[in-house]
Formats: sequence, C-alpha cells, structure tokens
Amino acid sequence: MSGSSKEHIIKSYDDELTRLTGEIVRMGELSVTQLEAAIDVVERRDGQAAQRVVLNDDAIDQLEQEISHDVVRLLALRAPIASDLRNVFAALRIAADIERIGDYAANVAKRSIPLSMVAPIAATGGLDHLAELAAHEVREVLLAYRDRDAERAYQVWKNDIELDEAYTGYFRQLLTYMMEDPRNITPCTHLLFMAKNIERIGDHATNIAENVWFQVTGEPLTKQRSKGDLTSAPELPKLGDKAD
Amino acid sequence: MHTGSETAVGLDKSLPSAPLAPTKLEVRDLNFYYNGYHALKNISMDIPEKKVTAIIGPSGCGKSTLLRIFNRIYAIYPKLEAKGSIVLDGENILGPGYSMNRLRSKVGMVFQKPVPFPMTIFENVAYGIRHHEKLSKADMESRVEQALRSAALWDEVKDKLKQSALGLSGGQQQRLCIARGIALKPEVLLLDEPTSALDPIATSRIEQLVEELKGEYTIVIVTHNMQQAARVSDLTAFMYMGELIEFDRTEKIFTKPGKKQTEDYITGRFG
Repeated sequence: MSGSSKEHIIKSYDDELTRLTGEIVRMGELSVTQLEAAIDVVERRDGQAAQRVVLNDDAIDQLEQEISHDVVRLLALRAPIASDLRNVFAALRIAADIERIGDYAANVAKRSIPLSMVAPIAATGGLDHLAELAAHEVREVLLAYRDRDAERAYQVWKNDIELDEAYTGYFRQLLTYMMEDPRNITPCTHLLFMAKNIERIGDHATNIAENVWFQVTGEPLTKQRSKGDLTSAPELPKLGDKAD
Repeated sequence: MHTGSETAVGLDKSLPSAPLAPTKLEVRDLNFYYNGYHALKNISMDIPEKKVTAIIGPSGCGKSTLLRIFNRIYAIYPKLEAKGSIVLDGENILGPGYSMNRLRSKVGMVFQKPVPFPMTIFENVAYGIRHHEKLSKADMESRVEQALRSAALWDEVKDKLKQSALGLSGGQQQRLCIARGIALKPEVLLLDEPTSALDPIATSRIEQLVEELKGEYTIVIVTHNMQQAARVSDLTAFMYMGELIEFDRTEKIFTKPGKKQTEDYITGRFG
C-alpha cells in the first residue's frame, strides 16, 4: 500500500483494497492481450479471429463495471482517507483508462477486417513496431501500479514521446505510400486510423502513470511537467519520516 | 514533536489556499505534568481566529488535557503544573497575574456529556451571565434569547423556558450547554467531544451549529470521530503520547498527511 506498509486494524479492509488492485492488474493485462491479438489478426488477415477480438472487449467492460461497483462500495462503507482514499480514487480513474485501451485494441481488430479484403501492402508491417511500444508502456505502467512504484510510472510517462515520434514517422510513411499509388489510399487510411488508435493507447498509459504518481506521492505529476524538467526523474517526496 | 522555542508546528505557508487567519491562541513550549507524569511535551501551535481547529489522537494522547489548559480548568486540582506560555490577545493566560474570571469569560467550554444545571432552561443560561454582569430583567431576557437562538435551540424551547432543563433530550441539553457557554460572549469556544453521547441527527445539528458559530468564535474541538474532524474543522492537529505530531489544514491532513504516524492513525493502521 502506498503511504504505509502497515496493515489496517480491520483485516477485511485490506482484503478489499488488495482485491481492487488485483482487478485493475487483471483488467490491464487483458487489454494488452487484446492489443497483441489485434495486431496478430492484422498480420494473419483473419476476419473471424478479428471478430473474436472485438467481442472479447466485453470482458474488459465487465471488469470495469465490477471495479466501479467495488469503488462505490469502498467509499460508502469504508470512508477511505489519505493514502487509502488516493488508492480508491486512482483505481476508478485507472479502470476508465484501461477500458479505453480495450476499446482502441478492439478498433484495431475491427479495421483489420476491411484491410484484409484488399491486397496486402508492405506498410502494414510498420504497425507492429507501434503496437510493441504501446504494449510495453501499458505493461510497465501496470507493474508500476501493482508495486506502487512512482519512479517506474514516471519513466512510462516520460517515454511516451518515443511512441509519439514513431507514430509521426509512420504517418509520413503512409502518406508517401498514398502519394506513390492511389490504390494504396484505402488500406493506408485504415492503417492510419489503426496507428492513431495505438498512439492513443500510449496516451492512456501516461494517464495511468499520472494516477500512479498521484496515488503514491499525493502530488499531481503535471506539476513536474510545468517545471519543464523532462530529462531526469524528479526526486520523490518522502511519504513519511522514517524516524517517526 | 519538538519544534524549538520559536516556531510552532504549523501550516505549509507555501500553499496559497491555506486559510491563514490572525492567531488567537499562541501556544509555545507547553509542558504539562501531573503528579510528575509528563502529559504534554513541548507543544507549540498557533490557533487561528474564527476558525475551527480540531484535535485528534488516540485515548491518552493529551488532547483533552491540552483543551483544558486553554481555560485552566486544571487549576482546580492540586499537583498539576503547566510550563510554557499560551498567549491570548497578547497576554499569557498561564501567567500568575491573569485573572481566572477574565479567562472564563473569554474562553467557554462544553463537555462530552451535557451537564445542564438542575434548574429551568432560562436559568441555565442566565446563571452564568449573572455571575459576570448585572443586567435588567429585560436585558437578561434578550440576552438569554440571543444565546438560545445562536445555539439553534430557541424555537424548540421558547414556550417552555420555565421548565426544567433536565427534561430536554440529550442533543437539546448539549445545545443548551453551548448556549450557556456563548451567553457570556466568549471569544474562544472549547468543545470536548461534544457529540460522543448524541445520535447522528443531534450530532449533525451540533456540527451545523459549529459551522454557524465560527463566524464569531474561535473554536477548538476535541473529537474521537475522524469524520467529524474532517467535516467541521479548518485545521486539524494530530497528537500522540503527549506530543503534537502534525498540525495542518484539515484537507491536507485527510488527503495527504505529512507524517507517517498521522497517516497510520487516520487510516486505521494504528497499533
């Protein structure tokens, strides 16, 4: 738990908070799996498999519902404060971000269906790299969340620029393909939307990173951004005086 | 926490939202002993004017003791000794020259259990006033009414002022005690667990009353109810084993306390 390593006097309170963390991590892993499955069906040009990926998004939505329910119950019955309050608040926000990540993964799978109906083009391969970067970001931020590791979350937040740059590069590449041959316009347009979806997944990973940061430190991460220091990790504020 | 002689444990003044008001009670290096037991250790804090300051902490942490020093109730017992200073409007109330009568008219106190005197509702409020000033019958009536109105009790008792106060409900009795306290027009109102014997509705009434009264009085409330401290106070002090561990804006204490001990206590991790 952030804020204190001690357990609550009421044990079931800890059980509920642990359960909430577990649900978020599970939901997050599911969303990464969805993204990877979506990229897989793009490569395999498998429309049926793509449909299955789209349908699987329901499981993520279902988990989000369960998390919302648990958060409301915790707020009502436990009246959490301080680090507990930040935990519960962050969980609600992170669940919403993961839900969006799931939607974007499903969108990629959906677009793979019309893409598989036209002749394959070489540019499709570039999507892989973007998806790898995005999946790595999401996995990292989930670990940061699980371990209450603000530093790791900050690294994810900082490194999103790589994905942004990769997206911009891919965008230019697709434009080139389209200018070269108008028959590429249809598949490249689909690829452009898919790439944008993946780029957005990275943005949601940074949102999650901000929430992890807030959960652990009680400070908004955007405060660091305004200082313009993006080159190194800001020093973590101490949560408690160990000498106490 | 030992804070040295000059600085009080206090607000993070870098935060623009800190509700800084002029200091009403300036506590410096306060130490309190009974029968040789060191009950309060180097307490320094600035209690702001016309704000509600809550004091929280586990049983035996010294919070009620601190409150009782603010009106020197301890002075009625032998072998009790307070060292340090508490400056109220520029004067040290612990100083030997400070008149007890004057202090009691400036600092009112309401206790955990409502203790109405066994007399009429009217007399309960008038009793204290008579002790301090001589008023005509009409002035006294208006003063009692004013106090009962301020305590949000007037409408419930205006038709039975001549009846015994002991017939009132617990919540009404507690508001009567608050009326009795504010009838003397004090500047500081001390509340020692004022709702621990009351049901949730009566508790809400008292909390609403505290909110209304803070426009005129500096209020210090000791409470075991963390949510109550969060609801009613502007500032919260956390005490543990006779020390003031943390004193800051309530919002900060309940969202991001600065000390691990505070965090453990308010989140129920103490032990």
